[in-house]
Amino acid sequence: MGQVVYNIRRFDGRESYWQEYSFTHEANRTVLWGLLKIKETLDPTLTFVAACRSAVCGACAVRVNGQAVLACEAALDELLARFGSLLTVEPLGNFPVVRDLVVDWEPKAARLAAAKPWLLPKEEFSVADGCRQTAGEFKKINTQANCILCGSCASECNKLAAGDSDFYEPFVYSKMSKFVVDSRDGAAAEHLRPALEKGLWKCVHCQECVTNCPKRVEPAEDIAALRRESIRRGFTDNPGARHALAFRDDIAATGRLNEVTMALKTDGLIKSATRLPFALRLLRRGKLNPLHRPAPVTGIEGVRAILRAVKEEE
Amino acid sequence: MMMRYAFFPGCVLEGAAAEAREATVAVCRALGIELVELTGWTCCGASHAQDADEAAALAVNARNLALAEQLGLPLLTACSTCTLMLRKAKAALGDEKVRAKVNRSLVAAGLAYAGTAEVTHLLWVLAGDFGLEKLKARVVRPLAGLKVAGYYGCHILRPPKIMDFEDHARPRSLLALTAALGAAAVDFPASRRCCGFHAVFPAEKDAFRMTGGINRAAVEAGADCVVTPCPLCQMQLDMRQPEGKAAVGGARDIPVLHLSQLVGLALGIPGGELGLARHVTDAAGIAAWPGK
Repeated sequence: MGQVVYNIRRFDGRESYWQEYSFTHEANRTVLWGLLKIKETLDPTLTFVAACRSAVCGACAVRVNGQAVLACEAALDELLARFGSLLTVEPLGNFPVVRDLVVDWEPKAARLAAAKPWLLPKEEFSVADGCRQTAGEFKKINTQANCILCGSCASECNKLAAGDSDFYEPFVYSKMSKFVVDSRDGAAAEHLRPALEKGLWKCVHCQECVTNCPKRVEPAEDIAALRRESIRRGFTDNPGARHALAFRDDIAATGRLNEVTMALKTDGLIKSATRLPFALRLLRRGKLNPLHRPAPVTGIEGVRAILRAVKEEE
Repeated sequence: MMMRYAFFPGCVLEGAAAEAREATVAVCRALGIELVELTGWTCCGASHAQDADEAAALAVNARNLALAEQLGLPLLTACSTCTLMLRKAKAALGDEKVRAKVNRSLVAAGLAYAGTAEVTHLLWVLAGDFGLEKLKARVVRPLAGLKVAGYYGCHILRPPKIMDFEDHARPRSLLALTAALGAAAVDFPASRRCCGFHAVFPAEKDAFRMTGGINRAAVEAGADCVVTPCPLCQMQLDMRQPEGKAAVGGARDIPVLHLSQLVGLALGIPGGELGLARHVTDAAGIAAWPGK
């Protein structure tokens, strides 16, 4: 292979523009190698952040062809094979940009603080004895503990892109979940409350966070765990919880979704009434039959027996 | 040899997206793909049930998979979320301890899941098992000149460790399939974005902005219609198109087709049999393509 081209999204503090850099390909290199090559041989003004070069500090995350990656870890040859010899390199999405590929973590750190991402230890733990936990207990928080705060999940989050005033970055929910389930933590409610107040049910299930985390953290799964915990604690008076519970109940009742009651159960009667124009729109096209009631599936007794057995097993 | 699949229609194909069921069945019949509906299938949980009860959500999908295993056929869905939920369950049940635990519950219904069930999607069957060359040879009504924006959405691609048919960042199946039907494939920048369907109740305004943004991007790319492999995306982009347009603006309305409908048209199946009159955003012009 001959030349590699990075088309880089630059920002000088006032204006944003694209700039192309071309350099000779070398095998078995990383995206970061290319950025360093540009800075050292082509353009010393190109600004980016990188530190550990070992995929542990999380500083060098950038977007390559629309996907967040750790520049120090992303194999150049793999990306070239996928996308061809032209790679677009941008700063992370859903972050304010400081300069070129450098994003501003200050506002994100402030938002993360809301989760109280530190241990609020149980009273029985002391300075002398520390906070011990079993291997099994540690396993429950091991995945979330891998988060290196690189911002990749936030970069591609569809909900954040639509609006961040009522939703945290996915990694914030992972941190919350970590301390909610940590056996050493005595104040789960403190970590859960900010989620209840902001965004717990607003995740759109786009799976970008799970897809893009370089450390295999699964924020969408952590959001689901926080939702279960909120329901367990009785926070069910909201459309998100009612929606999830309605699915669970429909499966036990007939095995299938009841479209008519689903909206009523989720929204309640008053809010549902405001959706009348929408319902009429569907009725006109024959997409909604208000009299339709799904009949119980063949073997519904078996479904219910399984659900009872699951409950007993738990 | 005739291709045979256990068919998992999923809940919305029984209701608001019933036209996708008609079209899927018609297309498979026309192509000689035999569908054997999975008797007693239940809701996949729709990416919501696990928020209420994770163990129950896994167990009911283990039951679905066990029923497919009894038939000895790969399970074919026509919904991206159903596919993801069933494949996620299969992946979780790949762990022997988890499988043994869930099987202790399945016994209550006289069932057991061994771990062999395959779960696939109509798009993957057409672009993979059946093959686009073969599909192209079956086209009797090439959709020449029809500009089609292929919209993948989320769950047919992500997360890639579960949905591994193609590169999630650079999917090509819809483009290639559209081209095989003789239509002009429009690659548009919103093809992998989220339509907002799964949060339309708790995050309505965001969902409508997402919906409107995708439709507008397709219009701006010059498409005559959008096609999607997911009936939930189709419902959101079609049924909620007025709200989407109100949220972000847009020059004109755009019909949104189920994958099966587009394929059906090219195979010469009349629009009436594909449920094209059942759309909120008028698709009559596409049904009659190329018109007079």
